[in-house]
Amino acid sequence: MDAIVKVVDKVLAWTLIVFVSGIVIDVTWQVFTRFIMDDPSSMTEEIANFLLIWTSLLGSAYALRVKAHLGIDILTSKFNEKKQLKWEFVIYTFVIFFAALVLVWGGSRLVGITLKLNQVSAALQLKMGYVYMILPITGLLIIFYSIFFMVEASRKLKGQVAA
Amino acid sequence: MSDAVFTLIICFVILMAANVPISVCIGLSTVMTMIVSMPIEPAITQTAQKIATGLDSFALLAIPLFVLSGHIMGQGGIAKRLIDMAKGFVGNLPGGLAFVNIISCMLFGAISGSAVAATSAIGSFMIPEMNKAGYDKNFSAAANATAATTGLLIPPSNVLIVYSLASGNVSVAALFVAGYMPGMLTGGLLILSAGILAFIHNYRGGESISMKEKVKRTGDAFLSLMLIVVVIGGIIGGIFTATEAAVVAVLYSLILAVVIYKEVKISELPEILLQTAITNSVVMLLVGCSMALSWVMAYENIPQDLSQTMLSLSDNPIVILLVINIILLAVGTFMDATPAILIFTPIFLPVAMKLGMDPLHFGIVMILNLCIGICTPPVGTVLFVGCAIADTKITHITKWLLPFFAAMIIGLLLVTFVPEITMWLPRVFGF
Repeated sequence: MDAIVKVVDKVLAWTLIVFVSGIVIDVTWQVFTRFIMDDPSSMTEEIANFLLIWTSLLGSAYALRVKAHLGIDILTSKFNEKKQLKWEFVIYTFVIFFAALVLVWGGSRLVGITLKLNQVSAALQLKMGYVYMILPITGLLIIFYSIFFMVEASRKLKGQVAA
Repeated sequence: MSDAVFTLIICFVILMAANVPISVCIGLSTVMTMIVSMPIEPAITQTAQKIATGLDSFALLAIPLFVLSGHIMGQGGIAKRLIDMAKGFVGNLPGGLAFVNIISCMLFGAISGSAVAATSAIGSFMIPEMNKAGYDKNFSAAANATAATTGLLIPPSNVLIVYSLASGNVSVAALFVAGYMPGMLTGGLLILSAGILAFIHNYRGGESISMKEKVKRTGDAFLSLMLIVVVIGGIIGGIFTATEAAVVAVLYSLILAVVIYKEVKISELPEILLQTAITNSVVMLLVGCSMALSWVMAYENIPQDLSQTMLSLSDNPIVILLVINIILLAVGTFMDATPAILIFTPIFLPVAMKLGMDPLHFGIVMILNLCIGICTPPVGTVLFVGCAIADTKITHITKWLLPFFAAMIIGLLLVTFVPEITMWLPRVFGF
């Protein structure tokens, strides 16, 4: 599992780097076309918005990986180390529940509906279903990382018992 | 209380207490509330859609871009030049390094837009230096963390952009202009507190610096400070939107850090971009989930009901504004500024407007209030960063924070009840 996690980390990190660069280049291009060429591109704004949705959602899976999302540990910080490790199962169960219910199930229903209705974006004529596809993708990644954290926690717990 | 409201509160409290990430708390509470009021399939689909469409805004794009320019500035030698300049002017006063810390945080906030970036960029220089000069490290960390929050008011500021989105009709440019005076007032009060503490603890100043050196240091910081003119001048002058100005800030800081100051190597850029993606996503997931939550609250008529209740409590504007401030102070202790703005603006703004308050003024009051929240535990992002740099614990720093909190609360009361502090500058600029 560790090897797979490493590969996913790498791919996800580089995707995010490309997306953020994409936002910078795209908005720069928008400024350039508006001021220098005096012919504002109508597509850049939409591309930037979609890139923001993709970067933000995919990035939140990565943020979970590096434990950047904040929670309130006012109660759990009083637990001893072993109990804190056990409590991780509770936290990640809630995270998985959210990701599965809203992002994967709700997100893929949203993709299905918007594709069926053939809803397209104003400037690019891009099917909105494709934009929303990032919801279930993010959901799956979040579930993947949560399971990994649970496996890690149980390994540590076993290690403690052995020691 | 309706079933929906009950579900919302119960889910939220339980998930928060369980140390579930706050964005997930908000998202799950939202979807559970939806499930109570409609069949499950439309409920989950709507929630998913609100999270995604909540991010579909060109104004929000300014946030990752300002985060990126903040990260570049943090590593690009810009912080150090601002510190050297501030040291030239106030470093020789008693307690001078504390003033340098606070002023540099304000200056950094004025070019970067992120309080956390200011804490780490300025703090990692100033806190060790203050330690060496014999200041208590808890004092240094407290001054650093509270001063960094002025960056939320002094433009460019990501939370002002979020408020513009939440309020619906207040322009980012007007908010940026309005933030200057309250931000500087708060900074000034923090300096006053630091001065009193320095006097009590008999902290001495550094050596005086010659006029020639002062001019040289200001010259060194000049290109960094020009960013204020380009970015904020561009926004206020109506040349750029905030998002366009943010990309200009990215390019400017990139050229400054890579080409002119040569403190960032091209090979370091992927890591900076990745850190930007992470910081951005933490904020954006909060934005998406909070937008979904404020949608479901509107669907349940919660803002209207609460506004009515508040207005029926008293018809004295002073009392109601005090109540709003106290609620926001409490909210700010356990919630980060971004979700707090998105969730509570729809509730309190109509009340404030009924009392004849300008939405611009209300926004500044709300954000100044939440500034206090981000340096109070249990959720105090800036405070955590400050403590980590100073290598101290929150329990040790609390005593030193109190005088700074007192300064901020005085600032908050002044800004709340003297609208001119906020409204004067925007009026001069014709907003």
